[in-house]
Amino acid sequence: MASFQHPFRSLKYVKRQHQGLSDVLIASAGRHIYCYEAESGRRLDVWPQHVEISSKVASGPKSTSEDQAPPEKRRKLSSPETQAEEKPTEEILNSKSPSWTNIPMVLASPDGKYVVALTAEDKCIRVFSLSEDGKLQELSSRNMPKKPCALDLTPDGQTILCADKFGDVYSLPLIPGEYVKTRAQVKASKPAATTLTVHSKRNLLSLEQQLRQAERAEKAEKAEGVEKPQEEVEEKNMLNFEHQLILGHVSMLTDLISVSLPGPSGSRPRNYILTADRDEHIRVSRGIPQAHVIEQQCLGHTSLVSKICVPSWAPNVLISGGGDGLLLVWNWSEGELLQKILLGDSFQDSVVSGIWDISLDQPVGTRDPVRAIFVNLEGSSQLLHYSLESDSTLTLQDTIQLSGNVLDLVSMDLPGSVVVSVDTVREPNCTDTWKSGPASPQILLESLRANSFEGSLKWSVAEDSKLAIINAAGTSDLSTTLEAKARKAIDDALYNLGNTRKKSYGD
Amino acid sequence: METPVPGKRQAREEYRRKIKEQTEGDGDSSAVKLPRKRFFRQRAHANPFSDHRLDYPVSPAHMDWASHYPAFVDPDPSKTNLSGARKLTREVEVVDIGCGFGGLLVGLAPLLPDTLMVGMEIRVSVLDYVRSRISALRLQQQNLKAIAAGNSTGQPSDTPAMPDVEDDEIGSTTTIVPGNYENITGIRANTMKFLPNFFAHHQLSKIFVCFPDPHFKARKHKARIISESLNAEYAYVLRPGGLLYTITDVEEYYHWVLRHFKYENEDGENGENGAEQTDAPTGGIRDLWELVSDEELEADPCVQVMKFETEESKKVTRNKGNKYVAVFRRKADPEWPS
Repeated sequence: MASFQHPFRSLKYVKRQHQGLSDVLIASAGRHIYCYEAESGRRLDVWPQHVEISSKVASGPKSTSEDQAPPEKRRKLSSPETQAEEKPTEEILNSKSPSWTNIPMVLASPDGKYVVALTAEDKCIRVFSLSEDGKLQELSSRNMPKKPCALDLTPDGQTILCADKFGDVYSLPLIPGEYVKTRAQVKASKPAATTLTVHSKRNLLSLEQQLRQAERAEKAEKAEGVEKPQEEVEEKNMLNFEHQLILGHVSMLTDLISVSLPGPSGSRPRNYILTADRDEHIRVSRGIPQAHVIEQQCLGHTSLVSKICVPSWAPNVLISGGGDGLLLVWNWSEGELLQKILLGDSFQDSVVSGIWDISLDQPVGTRDPVRAIFVNLEGSSQLLHYSLESDSTLTLQDTIQLSGNVLDLVSMDLPGSVVVSVDTVREPNCTDTWKSGPASPQILLESLRANSFEGSLKWSVAEDSKLAIINAAGTSDLSTTLEAKARKAIDDALYNLGNTRKKSYGD
Repeated sequence: METPVPGKRQAREEYRRKIKEQTEGDGDSSAVKLPRKRFFRQRAHANPFSDHRLDYPVSPAHMDWASHYPAFVDPDPSKTNLSGARKLTREVEVVDIGCGFGGLLVGLAPLLPDTLMVGMEIRVSVLDYVRSRISALRLQQQNLKAIAAGNSTGQPSDTPAMPDVEDDEIGSTTTIVPGNYENITGIRANTMKFLPNFFAHHQLSKIFVCFPDPHFKARKHKARIISESLNAEYAYVLRPGGLLYTITDVEEYYHWVLRHFKYENEDGENGENGAEQTDAPTGGIRDLWELVSDEELEADPCVQVMKFETEESKKVTRNKGNKYVAVFRRKADPEWPS
């Protein structure tokens, strides 16, 4: 029986024509990153290289289900340095497969020379160089202390901004330099409490114990002359690469974007960082190095905020979506709410999983440049198409039906079209029901073309020969005979926004 | 943790019900009793990262302050905010983060009678106490005013003297104080998450952080109420020139505070003197804050209240502990990089 193909999770279009090179489409599917020549759909590279099919067949379906499941959550014991090379125990058996099962995000630097990707289970930010012939070469891998939820690059493309599950935003240089540890050694821990600050019998007793232990440790150290590594060091101090904590929410971050606005005449453009969290907040901070200056809070959502988008052609406008069935349009630099759009009853329980701004200078089908906003809800096979009016409000134009759940979307030049990645594995509008078997051919990518129709713009699914080549080549196999548990793990890795809603309501 | 035995819990509930009745006007208003803390105690630590069942406004423009400060409601009923609540004649501008049993608020109330102040506390029972305490204080003031009014008109007063102060209770007032405690209130909130839901940009003039939970274990340090990330949020709600007061009895926490405002580096060296050193803290969050001098603190009556009138400060005094005060003034936002 044929296998499913891993759907494309994240797409990026890399423009390189001004450098005399062909444009490249970067896409992640399963545990791999694929590079395609944009014009032809020819596959240029896969990272990491596909594992030999024979070894997969030999391992049989049982171990396939095992390596599909994310590695068990474990407490970090080793330093990240050794961990980068180390593979989780269950993976050692199958040493050819990497330690992650999916790549939720890929980014490309503005100059088209670098690709940044996040591998999920090892929380690792990996930077690649993209060669002239479209090959990926891994330059660095940096394991973050907490699960990164959103990545972006600063407008100059030199710094990665990483927003994590614990609400912290770190800045990392795109190309890490030599890292000199700032703190050579950590002072032996001494209890911060004293008999002046704790009074209850129990607390005094434990303080006494702590003091005794500290004393013993000190003696042992002197006697042996060996310094014992301190166990309870803040985790950020354990990162062995240059990084800076630049801002933080006390809430899980869901999205981050870096935006630049023109400054007053004669001054430099002003950079901002916009962050969204699970507690309904959207925060506007200044860019590096003044990220500690909070300029605005855009408060109006009544459930988690999951996606924020600043259209490239209207940088003062922010469109935000979340779990409350609303799209909000903001003048974000003033914190002013411009419009509140109800997504409709059928989407009341869904979470917005994507808001994309599409700008095509030379679209096929029409002569004028095309600008559009697309919105998708998690686990939906429909795309909502909005136009952004001159008064910064959104108008729903039409709804586009795709062949499967929409996962990501990207605009391509020459010919100007929109490429949508769809879920080939699950039934449309389902996040947990798998198709009985793979369709033939499996559609991983679909192309949308704009058509002028009675003065307004309509989008429709169109034939595209280069996408047919990509679809025919497929990605990597995903067994059709996985157990329910393994399937659920894969479902949860792809559709996880619904789970970020607040559920437990205890005092 | 000790779990209250059924009898104890019953007694608590009974007591709280009585206190509530008294302030809601059903009881005998001539002898208003202040609530007793022993019926409102709660475990000293709360997890600031969990999703508590909290009420908070969508934004500051949605906050209903009118029910908290009835004496300051704008007489024009047509003036309402985004949630339809009546507006006030002035804005709330002082916040006590982690107000505990409300000692600071009660101490500050007569000192700043025209300033609206709010205490924020994450523990439900403790906040219940603060609300009951303020209601009782307001009622006592009304009674005192009624007595005074009676005396001044020359009518014979047969009202008995003020009730005796309860055994373990403190804070009953026997004199009329400026502001009559109409300018203070308490709200249950997790300020680490939701401070910007209550207060707009530059709305506040003072923030107090008194004897915060020290979270001694290194693993728990991220739960501390002072951090560089949170200091950026305090700077957002505090107006330039506004003050952030901190006091602690834990020396290590005092250095933590200085370090997280970048007034000290990891080795405990003072950033002022170490400006030339390579690892001296510069820039960052320090752009926004100026450490207030000791002379200025001496002259600030709020510091005295913080040092001697909060419940925790009295406990520290009783145990002959140390008190470490650090106050920071919010500077204007730095210039954009040119």
